[in-house]
Amino acid sequence: MSLLKTKVSRRKFLGLTSGALASTLVMSNFGVLKKVGASEEKGNSKYGRKFVPSTCAICVNKCGFIAEVDNGVIRKINPNPKFFKSRAMICARGNAGAKVPYDPDRLKKPLIRVGKRGEGKWKEVSWEEAYDYIVDNVVKLVRKYKNRSTIAFASTEGFQEEYFIDLANIIGTTNTVRHPTLCLASNIQGYSSVFGTFPDADIANAEFVIIAGSNRAEAIVTPDTIDMAKNHRKQTLIYIDPRATKTTALADKWYPIKPGTDLALVLAMIHVIIKENLYDKEFVEKYTYGFDKLAEHVKQYTPEWAEKETEIPASEIYWLAREFAKHAPRSIWYPGRRSSFYANDVYYRRACAILNAICGAWDRPGGLIPKSKIPLRKYEIEFPIFDWTRDRIDAGKVPFLGDVLPEEDKTDAGLPTDSCQYLSEKDGSWILFREAILKGVPYPVKGLFVYKQNPVESVPNRKKTLQMLEQMEFICTIDVAMSDTAWYSDVVLPESTYLERWDPVHSLNGVVPIAVMRQPVIEPLFDTKSMFEIMCNLAHKFMERKDFWEDTSEEDLEMFKETCLKRLTKNPVKDFAKYQVSKYPGAFEQLLKEGVFYLSDKPKYGKTLKDGFRFKTRTGKIELYNVKYEEKGLHPLPVYTRHTDPKPGQFRFVVGRHGQFTHASTQNNPWLLEAYGDKENAVWINAKVAAKMGIKAGDKVKVKSPVGEQIVKALPTEYIRPDVVFYVHGFGRLSKGLSNIYRVGASDAEIIVDYMESISGNAAMHETFVTIEKI
Amino acid sequence: MSKKKWAIVLDDSKCIDCKACTVACKMENHVPLGMYFYRNWVAERTKESEFPMIKRMFRPSQCQQCENPPCVHVCPTRASYQTEDGVVLVDHEKCILCKYCMTACPYDARYVNEEIEAIDKCTFCYHRLAEGRIPACVETCPPKVRVFGDLNDPDSEVSKLVKMHDTEVLKPEKGTKPKLIYIKR
Repeated sequence: MSLLKTKVSRRKFLGLTSGALASTLVMSNFGVLKKVGASEEKGNSKYGRKFVPSTCAICVNKCGFIAEVDNGVIRKINPNPKFFKSRAMICARGNAGAKVPYDPDRLKKPLIRVGKRGEGKWKEVSWEEAYDYIVDNVVKLVRKYKNRSTIAFASTEGFQEEYFIDLANIIGTTNTVRHPTLCLASNIQGYSSVFGTFPDADIANAEFVIIAGSNRAEAIVTPDTIDMAKNHRKQTLIYIDPRATKTTALADKWYPIKPGTDLALVLAMIHVIIKENLYDKEFVEKYTYGFDKLAEHVKQYTPEWAEKETEIPASEIYWLAREFAKHAPRSIWYPGRRSSFYANDVYYRRACAILNAICGAWDRPGGLIPKSKIPLRKYEIEFPIFDWTRDRIDAGKVPFLGDVLPEEDKTDAGLPTDSCQYLSEKDGSWILFREAILKGVPYPVKGLFVYKQNPVESVPNRKKTLQMLEQMEFICTIDVAMSDTAWYSDVVLPESTYLERWDPVHSLNGVVPIAVMRQPVIEPLFDTKSMFEIMCNLAHKFMERKDFWEDTSEEDLEMFKETCLKRLTKNPVKDFAKYQVSKYPGAFEQLLKEGVFYLSDKPKYGKTLKDGFRFKTRTGKIELYNVKYEEKGLHPLPVYTRHTDPKPGQFRFVVGRHGQFTHASTQNNPWLLEAYGDKENAVWINAKVAAKMGIKAGDKVKVKSPVGEQIVKALPTEYIRPDVVFYVHGFGRLSKGLSNIYRVGASDAEIIVDYMESISGNAAMHETFVTIEKI
Repeated sequence: MSKKKWAIVLDDSKCIDCKACTVACKMENHVPLGMYFYRNWVAERTKESEFPMIKRMFRPSQCQQCENPPCVHVCPTRASYQTEDGVVLVDHEKCILCKYCMTACPYDARYVNEEIEAIDKCTFCYHRLAEGRIPACVETCPPKVRVFGDLNDPDSEVSKLVKMHDTEVLKPEKGTKPKLIYIKR
């Protein structure tokens, strides 16, 4: 690859991140930044009682709250009555968040490893020492490999993640890897391939909702979960899942579908709707492309055929199809998460989107709605272009793709065997990314920064993640607690919690967009800093190293100093937040006082249905038949592939959420652990199967997969199919810094095979078969 | 000023067992950690429960704030008492931890709080009522299963809900006249 090409792609990459067209604000001395959050509060007495609006960060929903603070200590986190996106609620996790700053397991000082990796021997150091250590190591690695991309950045979403990405840009690496390919990348890819965008669901106004591959009662998403519950008496909710999760409490019908066959069900529903002329002809004619080809394609997928695949009676499939069409446009096949199902997940998600499209349940009340947002101002930053920057390691042709695909998906026509087709430049693909690092192809990646993410517990096949960490020459983790990844790091930086800092304004895009930010509820406890402060301080430290900038031009460096160093890093987050909303008079004051800003509290429908609107697809229409896929050698229409069944004695292992836990991040909170109802997780196994195997409740069993094994308590239950087992994520941890869950229960990362969905790069987490053995 | 009759009307068909109410209560009322210490709870009352015929149901509950409270009647020190507006409270200073009230309560709504060395239970967040605020469990609930208000006010939401729906109380045969009122499914 030519240097020039690298430079071009680099520019594009940079364009994705935050930038700066600086308002001329106070040029503060750098040292002042240490107390950005607290400085504004100085006028107020620490004593007495106050109510501070801000935004939750215990999961991804960002619900508005009003914290009650007594004498500088958080007493309670209450819902913000004006925060309509969450329907003015705070869940169990949000409530328990009040204890996060006071958690004895919190990181309190920067730490540098002194023993072996993972041994847990640390030296407390000053921030200056930590910065010097980091800068020395990064400069050393970049110069050693003559490659800035040898430093990788792993992060998950959050209001300060943009500053972490800024740091990646300052160092000049393309190798950022984010959470979507462990979550909903295939979902976004599938719906976008039809509508050109990933929509929201207007649950509040829907009459008929089908959820498959999502457990909204336990994986709370606002406002969807709350609207489903509130509408319980008037809305028909169909729930499809191999497990009877708590969502069945809201469901009118529950179908324990045979795993891996969801696509067959959707295709058969489309078959019925077309065959019986139940689709919205006018809508299809006006807005969609490829209906005839679709109609021809789904002729083969009869409900009688689908019954054999899905184990859902054909009569029920007819009923579902007819009801769905009858209630349209107030019908939704819910675009839920837990999308990392199977290695052909994108085709399944495409079919779900197509079902909604042919019924005209798009951009109208009660259907799928393209998200709206509140436009915000941002800085434009010019990061330097470096000669030593190389393309992402997981992009382009990947020679070892076959290593991360299940057997039946390696050879199937219509699945690419050479690369991940639609890799997002900022997100990457975790499975492919790690595989490339382990193989050192096409170049070695030897440095790693981790922010807020915990790959050791989040990415399937934990052993491989540990191997990846092992081959790193330098690892820095920034977090509020000693995550498992922090435990294996060389330097650990303690971040201020979301209750102690300013965070910039973010638009929460959706049916009704809403803007939120964070202001400190209390002054930072301990010697912690925000990601923003860490980025700023490191940026200036890097500038002091002349030997770090020799592969860039003088002009680039000057531009960088002007935009990044003088503008971004010298303006406190609070001032940036003010600038972001400066085109809306009074917005910042409203955010400070009421914790929320919005342009309207009513949904706007039909902006994509206006004459002349072009969908972001090749044809400008809703693509039932995807032209780009055809060009790339993929199936332009969703094709069903039969998945391997578990062999006798085997079970399919499925993943899922629990209402008290955000991924792997809140299990160590004692209030949430208590609300969960046990000190450890337990493996769900069908009661009759367990009885046959002589397994009783509480017995210890060994769950063994091709990549690992875990010992866990058995939970025989009627709430699961006989061919499936499950245990909740986030237990069996390796970090001794998580004192309530260290080596307690079982880790799913340890046993899930690292297969991948090859179009989106999403981890395919339901392709693992395990055996269960009583011990 | 007319006398209040505070009550909670619940539509538990909306409950998803998210435990927001139980955690909010522990935070608001400094209820100690531990599963034997609680002012409110969510019970699973699944009826059909054999695969694949499953219908899960949840029932959140707490002290029923009985109009005819057995706990108050049996308390030897008058630590348990009823306020003017019908809320049953415990005066921690007077409590001698004899646990008669725990035995008398048909709803298992009381626990021993070792930190304050007294029996403790739901107060309808009485300290909040004085500030014109609603109980923490009511306020925080995602689908608003609980609605709090004054049954003596015909215009209150609780009064309207009771008028509009078929309702039931727990263990009516005990004659306790609970002021936790459940909307029938």
